[in-house]
Amino acid sequence: MKYPCFPIFAAVVFATGLLPVVGQNARPKDDPAFLKKSALQIDQYVAAFYRRQKLEVPGVTDDATFLRRAFLVSVGRIPSSEEAIGFLEMDDATKREELVAYLLESPGHASHMSNWAFDLLRLTDRRVDTMANNEPYRNWVREAIENNMPWDKMVNRMLSSQGDGWDPSTAGVGYYTRDRGMPLDNLANTMRVFLGARMECAQCHDDPFGKTERHDFYQLAAFTHGQDEVRASLIQSFRADLAKKVENYSTPEFLLAQFLDDQVYGASLAGGGAGNIPLPMDYQYRDAKPGEVVGAKTPFGKPVRMSEKKEDGEGRKAFADWIINKTGEQFPTVIANRMWRQVMGKGIYEPVDEYLPPEKTHYPELITYISRLMVELDYDLRAFQHVLMLTRTFQFGTNPQESIIASADDFHGRKIQRLSSEQIWDSLITLAGGNPDGLPRRTLDDRIVIGGKPVLPNRRMGQLSKEVLALETEEEFRVYFDKLLAEMKQGGSAPSGDSMMSMGMTQVRTYNRDAKVRASELPSPAPREHFLYLFGQSDRMVVEGASRDPNVGQVLSLMNGFVQRQLVNNSQAHIYKTLDGASNDPEKIRRLYITILSRPPSDEEMQWMLAEVKAQGESGYRNIVSALVMSSEFLFLQ
Amino acid sequence: MKSFLKADEFTRRQFMSNAARAYLGVNLFPMFGSTLASAAPEAAVKGGKAKHVIYLYMAGGMSHVDTFDPKEKKDIMGKTEVIKTNADGVTIGHYLPKTAEVMDKVCVVNSLKSTQGAHEQGSYVMHTSYNMLGTIRHPSLGSWVARLGGRLHPELPPYVAINASPENTGSGFFGSKFAAAPVGNPEQGLQDSKRSEAVSEDDFARRLSLADKMNRKFHDRYANADVKAYEELYREAINLMKSKDLAAFDLSRESQATRDLYGKGAFAQGCLLARRLVQHDVRFVEVQLGGWDTHYDNFAGVEGRCKEFDQAYAALLTDLEKTGKLQDTLVVVATEFGRTPEIQIAHAGGRDHHPSAFTCLLAGGGVKGGMKYGSTDASGSKVKDLPVSVQDFNATIAYALGLPHDLVLMSPSKRPFKFSGPDAAKAAPITSVFA
Repeated sequence: MKYPCFPIFAAVVFATGLLPVVGQNARPKDDPAFLKKSALQIDQYVAAFYRRQKLEVPGVTDDATFLRRAFLVSVGRIPSSEEAIGFLEMDDATKREELVAYLLESPGHASHMSNWAFDLLRLTDRRVDTMANNEPYRNWVREAIENNMPWDKMVNRMLSSQGDGWDPSTAGVGYYTRDRGMPLDNLANTMRVFLGARMECAQCHDDPFGKTERHDFYQLAAFTHGQDEVRASLIQSFRADLAKKVENYSTPEFLLAQFLDDQVYGASLAGGGAGNIPLPMDYQYRDAKPGEVVGAKTPFGKPVRMSEKKEDGEGRKAFADWIINKTGEQFPTVIANRMWRQVMGKGIYEPVDEYLPPEKTHYPELITYISRLMVELDYDLRAFQHVLMLTRTFQFGTNPQESIIASADDFHGRKIQRLSSEQIWDSLITLAGGNPDGLPRRTLDDRIVIGGKPVLPNRRMGQLSKEVLALETEEEFRVYFDKLLAEMKQGGSAPSGDSMMSMGMTQVRTYNRDAKVRASELPSPAPREHFLYLFGQSDRMVVEGASRDPNVGQVLSLMNGFVQRQLVNNSQAHIYKTLDGASNDPEKIRRLYITILSRPPSDEEMQWMLAEVKAQGESGYRNIVSALVMSSEFLFLQ
Repeated sequence: MKSFLKADEFTRRQFMSNAARAYLGVNLFPMFGSTLASAAPEAAVKGGKAKHVIYLYMAGGMSHVDTFDPKEKKDIMGKTEVIKTNADGVTIGHYLPKTAEVMDKVCVVNSLKSTQGAHEQGSYVMHTSYNMLGTIRHPSLGSWVARLGGRLHPELPPYVAINASPENTGSGFFGSKFAAAPVGNPEQGLQDSKRSEAVSEDDFARRLSLADKMNRKFHDRYANADVKAYEELYREAINLMKSKDLAAFDLSRESQATRDLYGKGAFAQGCLLARRLVQHDVRFVEVQLGGWDTHYDNFAGVEGRCKEFDQAYAALLTDLEKTGKLQDTLVVVATEFGRTPEIQIAHAGGRDHHPSAFTCLLAGGGVKGGMKYGSTDASGSKVKDLPVSVQDFNATIAYALGLPHDLVLMSPSKRPFKFSGPDAAKAAPITSVFA
């Protein structure tokens, strides 16, 4: 018996496979031959490790396991039935390579990588107890990922931008404004996220185990010191005056002022980094006095210093340049190892945010190689993942055992791991609605909303922010504010689509908590009653705060919750459409297996399921769907 | 019943087998002589009136000077005013008028000190007694209580976390059996705990049986602890679904008057749910209230947080007392650190992290009310007397429950761990706050 054929997918795969026609002068990241050669080089380092250990190299996994693994790792969901059948039925020696190329170019990859970036950068939509949101920054990160902005450039933009948070060219300032008022925590996270250097302790005291002293931390903080909002004094004095006049904090006047403070000024960033900073008043060591001003100085790598005598204003640029270009192998190694974990399931060394120099890892040659590869590929994260997914190492068979090397991968086959919360969700919506990547992604929400209500329907944040930040004097501000307030009180309704176009506004598309769309399109983090929370999505308050731990709520949800409502008991679910045209029970069962588990059933399983259908008729199919989704095989990556 | 022996069979066997190994090297078992041999643990562990814990966690670092450790100096207090309470000599910040009416039930521990000044590490040590490590995940307090104390209700989960960050309520190396059952939104209770009406009992059973067949095959192929955990959870979940006490999670069973007593919002209703759960013999309930990270405009921030906290906390203590549960329920208010007495003018009156002195609260479960334990200096900057480490504080929670805070349990990787943290912390419970 044959599977139904889905030629569309196959055609796409073939087309992608044929696409790259690359000349002699192609950059390495665009050259398929270079990517393949690099993959081979990685495999040789891994093989050398096996030889040294006198171990047999693990075998390569079967097509079905590879298919599911490749999808989950690169686009964060299981294949739709069409995609699965397309791949499994292809009879082509290079089909794995073609699949990888197809996946990495698909919009699903950007979605999956956005979840990664949101976890790493602690990207939440809102900030508690303020009217501020991180909307333009979220959108900026999403676009940077979508456009595959090279990592060094992305980091540089986040660390050294200044100006209007709503201007797309400077929206990277969200990296700092997300942590408004807490620049030192932000700095400690910067060192951890980009350099794998843990300095949180030194924020308050000398690290008793490490080399970092509190003095070092402040010297580093000098680079980013002096962050402020653009022309903040205008709004501050305005609000101070207002507080004297206004009794009630919920008047339109007060709300509008607070809104401008949080959403416009609060999203902006002035001050390029002073280069000097006073030591804190509780500074406790003998080498300096509290309040003494120290100049910027880097703690390792090529030394960069700035004078304590004057404010420079270029400190953040110097800092970003040091992180990216003057820390030797550290910057490329940290991101290369993060990407290795993203693709292979475990870092070459772990934890990935505690950098180890190559000689201290179990695989010095390999880690040195991938660090250089990252540079050679111009920090192109997609190309780098492409190399890893072309390796034989990526295709190793599954090994359920824990790594025999503490805090590192032992490369004894793929480690079994529960899917992330986002991977489970994205897979379920694929079953419920088919390939979700054709849906348009959410756009920047630049509407003006105060207290949950849209106000000023004829304006958008981008223009408003630009105008407000351009105001130079208190008088100008007052005039502008009064005009805005009058307009707000007047109300009015949102313009129609056509008149919106003529005003240069774009249609805003967002998805609320109930939408059956990719996790990357939902509110960040998803609300606490959401499936994503239950399965351990990070609350994005701390770096990579996600959990894959099981709990009883997850199992209840699989048995009685979202899965039942949207999938099993929903006759409109995409999964039941895959049964159209199947003429007999074995064929239907086979299709359900391929759709949910990306593989055909074994003979034994076929007998179980046929018995179920025989006993229960139509509801037998629902029972099969339910059982397959509840199975550990569905929840785990092999 | 010897309380530490309530740790399950596996633990005891492991305990015995490890004992011999321990004697070859370091003595890992300070409890060994007094408990395992013959003495009743009650002799070693006094306190012991509490059966439950309601752990209210103020995520982000609650400002101690603006709430429960107010000072005289205006330059420290900023916009915060000091008010009297119904307990002599106990004053608090003016954002907490209702709490002021119940301070006779509360012991204010003003002298906490943490070595961790960042949120992630600070919350981690508060919840586990250990510093964060890259190589192991430690069980959280609720998991320790579930494991050492055992469950009181045969079907309901022993540990429930309401509106909490998942990384704070994990069971670490204890495994999923001791992990918190998460409740995201208290209004919805434990989601999906009832069989859908569209599914017949027969079909439901068939689904489980098919899934079970699938899973057994899978587990045979991949004998992995995480995979196994899900198998066990299915059994647990089914028992739970069948429980007649599932209504413990249902806030709609409470009168409107009671619901209004606690106030609106996820934290307030979470406190009410916690009260229902301990009434139904859940051991440990954590409820989180986030947003205390008031670097920027601290006074507006604290005021906003206190609005969520004040009425709910006062209602919880009053309600527990009225229903007779206060005497065997320890109500803890904890946070990862305090905030600097200095006010950052540049950040619109913000306060930064301050781990070197902060305040947590204890009430119920045999704790004396209307008192303060320990103090800070005139500025609220340093601990003046009776310093309490995070581990001492957690040891006190174990003590209140009559659980051995220093019993050693081994991780699967054969490393020793205790409720109250590493040996180096030398944790000791504060016994004098118990009546």
